[in-house]
Amino acid sequence: MDSSDVIIIGAGMIGANCALRLIQSGLSVTVIDRGAISGGTTSAGEGNILVSDKDPGPELSLALRSREAWFELADEVGGEFELEKKGGLIVAKSEQGISDLKVQSARQSQSGVIVHQLDHAELHEIEPHLSNEIPYGVYYPQDSQLNPMLGVAQILKKFRELGGKVVTEAKVLSISTDAMSVTGVVTSKGEFSSRNIVNATGTWAGEIAEMAGSHLPIAPRRGFILVTAPTPSVVRHKVYDADYVANVASGSADLQTSAVIEGTRSGTILIGSSRERVGYSTTFDVRILRKLSEQALALFPALRKVQIMRAYFGFRPYAPDHLPVIGEDARVKGLWHATGHEGAGIGLAPATAEIIAAQITGKDCLMDVSPFSPARFAHDL
Amino acid sequence: MIIVVGGGPAGMAAALSAAQANSKVMVVEAGPRLGGQYWRHSSVEHLDQDGAKLVSAVMSHPNIEFLFNARIWRADYRDGESTLHVLIFGKSRELTTKKLILATGAFDRTLPFPGWDIPGVMTPGAAQSLLKGSGIVAGKRIVIAGTGPFLLPVSVGLAKAGAQIAGLYEANSRNRWFPHALTVMRNAPKLRLALSFQRELKRYQLRFRGGYAVVEALKGDEGLLEAVRVAKVDKEFGIMANSEFVIKCDVLAVGWGFTADLSLAGNLGVEFKKDSDGSISVVVDQFQETSLTGVFAAGELTGIGGAELAQVEGEIAGLTAAGNVNRPKRLHRLKKRKATFARALSAAYPVGNKWMEWLRESTIICRCEEVSLSEVEKSISNLGATDARSAKLLTRAGMGLCQGRICGRSFADIVESRTGNVANDESSIKFAARPIASPITFEELAGS
Repeated sequence: MDSSDVIIIGAGMIGANCALRLIQSGLSVTVIDRGAISGGTTSAGEGNILVSDKDPGPELSLALRSREAWFELADEVGGEFELEKKGGLIVAKSEQGISDLKVQSARQSQSGVIVHQLDHAELHEIEPHLSNEIPYGVYYPQDSQLNPMLGVAQILKKFRELGGKVVTEAKVLSISTDAMSVTGVVTSKGEFSSRNIVNATGTWAGEIAEMAGSHLPIAPRRGFILVTAPTPSVVRHKVYDADYVANVASGSADLQTSAVIEGTRSGTILIGSSRERVGYSTTFDVRILRKLSEQALALFPALRKVQIMRAYFGFRPYAPDHLPVIGEDARVKGLWHATGHEGAGIGLAPATAEIIAAQITGKDCLMDVSPFSPARFAHDL
Repeated sequence: MIIVVGGGPAGMAAALSAAQANSKVMVVEAGPRLGGQYWRHSSVEHLDQDGAKLVSAVMSHPNIEFLFNARIWRADYRDGESTLHVLIFGKSRELTTKKLILATGAFDRTLPFPGWDIPGVMTPGAAQSLLKGSGIVAGKRIVIAGTGPFLLPVSVGLAKAGAQIAGLYEANSRNRWFPHALTVMRNAPKLRLALSFQRELKRYQLRFRGGYAVVEALKGDEGLLEAVRVAKVDKEFGIMANSEFVIKCDVLAVGWGFTADLSLAGNLGVEFKKDSDGSISVVVDQFQETSLTGVFAAGELTGIGGAELAQVEGEIAGLTAAGNVNRPKRLHRLKKRKATFARALSAAYPVGNKWMEWLRESTIICRCEEVSLSEVEKSISNLGATDARSAKLLTRAGMGLCQGRICGRSFADIVESRTGNVANDESSIKFAARPIASPITFEELAGS
């Protein structure tokens, strides 16, 4: 039987990062995915590395470390994945919105986020096509972006060069345990044995936990993205309305939309973001697209005649308290969860991997990781 | 009211039969008039007898109304009702119906080859559209190539309009027909049509050459098409040694049969199937009803079968949607015969897999995103793509303006040949899905 120190289930962004960190820690590692690499939530987002949308607290600390780690990783991995210091711009129009944004950015600044407050003139100088009616914004130079599919591919390429094994098209059928410790997985491509399993399956993490005899309250939240035809540069940064931050933190099941607009290197403009809890439904109401385009036009009237050529959606894994779930399962020894990042998984992946690698190898973590512990759901059992 | 999407042979037949069965019908057509690709025309006197008859019957029927120049950018199905989001005069309108007949037709199937992105290279359908729709002859010296019976009428039409046909190359050799001769004989009108084309070819001194393919398009100093390289090919489309020659031309019309337009059917969520030749089509029952109650499909999107079969299917769909339960047996017999003929036809004009050998490392596979063969190969060998979807995500192939309509199938074929990982039906069908059926501007979307 195939045997390794660690098995990682899920060849998305979280799984790929964990794989690289763990093999660099001297362990033998096998990555297993039921489909191709980066086939799930990783391929259905925008590739955000954001600090601007996070309130001071454990997730912001994770985001700040993770952003640094991304730039270290780019040097380490070598291959191109379009990592870019794009910069984020939160704008506000109403008096209430402006004062909330001022408070929010001041608090973020105290936690180590670099913020620049911009008045009307400064705002329109750095983002010339922004609606003239918007008087105020905050610029976050740390906000960055990458191409997530290329990111996973390059990281896994490096991982394979270091002797790692990637098994695709292998669906996990069951997880073997002995006295509440994992011993391996049974897949459609055979059995793999290991004392450590990293559950990096995103929205499907609850199913894996259940297979091992545990429980994890992870659910999917659907997000839409509109893509325009290639357009001369209308949008220079990642620009969004202050409302977006409120939506990110919301637990509501209802549809929420707030335009998040950005240009990409390929010339297309991406417009997010909607959030709704509809399970894994693939049917949708065009009202979502309509609201997004109305909001996009309110920010960038110049988009009026630009064509939207496609739309896609993805399912973001979220936990009831909207914090990532990182660490060993409370019941099953050797089962390590790395999920629940919702729409922030791309950005938070390298720091998540650092925590997982430190915990599996018994080293100290550089930050307080207790808020992310899966043990917080132990009372659900 | 019954809504028919598409004003081609299937859509017209559907609208007419439903209207004659006393139903109210609305035909939604993307173009300015009826006819579809098959009977595209600028004025009715240019149509053949059958076409003119059908067009005028549909146009004059009091039970039928029309929405022309109406582009449907999205369709939804919920609780037994279909909603069409239609762009008309720059505004998106919603049409809702319990009886929908999809007759969205097909477009030319293209294969990538060196030089296919040079201006002057087009599909036979595009050359035909220019001629029939706008009276424009695509070039002075035209080469027609590819495979399928459609190449003949296009050649004859262009020759009649005064173009010099520099070559007519059918990649499948003529003896492919022999096993199906009996089926053809049983289809007298088709046989007559074939003979009439033979006469026309002779009249315009067009030399039809079977077993030859255009394997490269060549650019002149101006950056426009100057010539094509032709080769004799074997059954699998492999180039035969020492058979290549160059023919000068300013237009190449090259097509490899047709691909069904499944965008709206996919939006609604009807069940699809993958046929043995790899093409995807809508599953219908004997009454043309899809897997969704009240949604019917007729014509090319249920499997490429030509205009005659499309009309029979349309008639059945129209009658069923109108609630006419006493459908004449004649129609079902006719459908069976035409379908048998269509199968024989597609068996006679297969697309051999060795067209991939014509490609070079630098050949562009996806024109919208300018993805070359070597980039596709690198996504597999270097970046770990194992199927069409992961290769697409890593290269952006098929993510441009045409949304993979042009390159999607060829791209998937190339990835399959390089990975050896043959896609199952479900992933092939998913690969062809497009949530937005047709581009729409922010203004149009927001104002709707």
